[in-house]
Amino acid sequence: MTSNYEAKIEELRRQALQIRRNVWRALHGAGSGHMGGSCSAADLLAALYFGHLRVRREQPDWPDRDRFVLSKGHANAALGAVLAQAGFIDDSVLDDFYGYQSSFGMHPDIKMPGVEMSTGGLGHGLSVAIGMALGARLQSKNFRTIVMLGDGELQEGSNWEGAMAAAQFKLANLTAILDYNKVQQSGHVAQMLGLEPLADKWAAFGWAVREIDGHDMGAVVEALDALPLATAKPSLLIAHTIKGKGVSFAEDSFLWHNNVVDDEVYARAMAELETGA
Amino acid sequence: MNDEHTNHGQNPEWEQLAQDQSRLAFGLAVGELARRDASVVAISADTIDLFGLRGFLEANPERLIEAGIAEQSAMGMASGLATTGMRPILCGYAPFITTRSLEQLRNDVAYANQRVVIGAACGGIVLAMAGGTHHAVEDLAIMRAMPNMTVIVPADARQTWHAALATAQLDGPCYIRLGGKFAEPNVTAIAADFQIGKAEQLRPGGDITVIATGCMVAPALATAAALAGSGIGVRVLNMHTIKPLDRDAVLRAAAETGAIVTAEEHRASGGLGGAVAELLAQEQPTPMRLVALPDEFAIVGPTAKVREHYGLSDASITKACQALLD
Repeated sequence: MTSNYEAKIEELRRQALQIRRNVWRALHGAGSGHMGGSCSAADLLAALYFGHLRVRREQPDWPDRDRFVLSKGHANAALGAVLAQAGFIDDSVLDDFYGYQSSFGMHPDIKMPGVEMSTGGLGHGLSVAIGMALGARLQSKNFRTIVMLGDGELQEGSNWEGAMAAAQFKLANLTAILDYNKVQQSGHVAQMLGLEPLADKWAAFGWAVREIDGHDMGAVVEALDALPLATAKPSLLIAHTIKGKGVSFAEDSFLWHNNVVDDEVYARAMAELETGA
Repeated sequence: MNDEHTNHGQNPEWEQLAQDQSRLAFGLAVGELARRDASVVAISADTIDLFGLRGFLEANPERLIEAGIAEQSAMGMASGLATTGMRPILCGYAPFITTRSLEQLRNDVAYANQRVVIGAACGGIVLAMAGGTHHAVEDLAIMRAMPNMTVIVPADARQTWHAALATAQLDGPCYIRLGGKFAEPNVTAIAADFQIGKAEQLRPGGDITVIATGCMVAPALATAAALAGSGIGVRVLNMHTIKPLDRDAVLRAAAETGAIVTAEEHRASGGLGGAVAELLAQEQPTPMRLVALPDEFAIVGPTAKVREHYGLSDASITKACQALLD
């Protein structure tokens, strides 16, 4: 690999670390929040916004921009963080998480620059993204649509309606990225309403599927560069991740799906996020 | 009523093709809207023939998206399409496109304020024989409770055509309740002016006002004709737009006639009667009666018989008027 490539990967890792720091910062300001699913998605979001998505921070409604939908809307702290780091919103917005009349609530609001859909109710983003991908096709536009799904939300049946539809329409311009952190609000997904064999299910539904380590930046970049995975199928990247990644006491625990962040917790978390994973 | 109401031979093509059925008039309007605007796209939830869209599909295969029997996905797709500048028109069954996909409708369409038009066929108890699973008699209450939503119940096929075309001006979502697979009486003129949010006065009167919507407009007119024989002047307002409600028309009717009867094929809670009562209670308390369905799941039977069973008729409207006038 060239040094340019290594420098790019290093920069994406740095951005991912900064997303995690900003997530904890926002949650500390709000007093609580969804650290688990925000931090599991940080590497994926960094790779998307700093290496993949064709978007313009100075023109967030550019008609030909790539679309990104955060279906797992409870990870909005991470979305806000990456949008601030990418220059779509002012960094000070991150200190207004849950604030009075804030544009930065627990879940994404389409009125915030760079946010493509108001999400938060689970199982919505995939079908909305399908509509966007259809809109590109109908208008002969080349923009790509990427939707990030959570694993817990795949328990919602609406996802499987969308999975059928995207394959029926042969939407090669649509990619779903699953942040497969294996943990939901009340426990491990496998113990609640299990999803496996997940790759086989999506393949059987007509998707081109690839599994990656969602914290291996090189693997993430390589997978994004390989899109679309097929010429007449939607693509799914199953990104195996760790809930709460980056802060040891929050990792792989449903207790840190959504929790209180007081000064002491914040200090402990930030101490672990000084230099990154 | 004049010749215009019966002489189909000289009427515009859409009026003839609609066969006095609002669901078909809506489907024809979809075609017209698509002809006028390249961004218009229809979404079917296995409803192509329900809306008479087979010809449209064959002529414009790329402009009709078949979502299958999957209302949640259909509603989400409609929202996503709208964000890209498309003008999706979602064609569904009223009982399913409302409550099955309600969260998608609330979040993806209403909350995100996307320009999605929802055509809802078989509203009310059009499918009375099908049982409570297929009755849509809380749809207006649900839709009316949604911020950003425009809610329209055309009185007949002709008004459906004009209402559907008028949605092109809207910047937000719209719900249009339609009828089923039988002819509906014509109560509006073919070329009648239609403005979203502006009630249509079909008959003047100074003694009492009947505010009716959808299929209850025809019986309201029958009541007005019957009471005219007794020297009672019944004003009839066709309230085709439930939201935004034409406040001025309601308040004027209350002030000028002093008594209001509402008539709708919907439960009494939260629909047209509820909207009128909420307004009058706060602005101008006025004696009222609501002709509507009771708070129970309706019985099965032929639509006409079930309508009669629950008093969705001119006889009930007349009785309500007389109760207020006594």
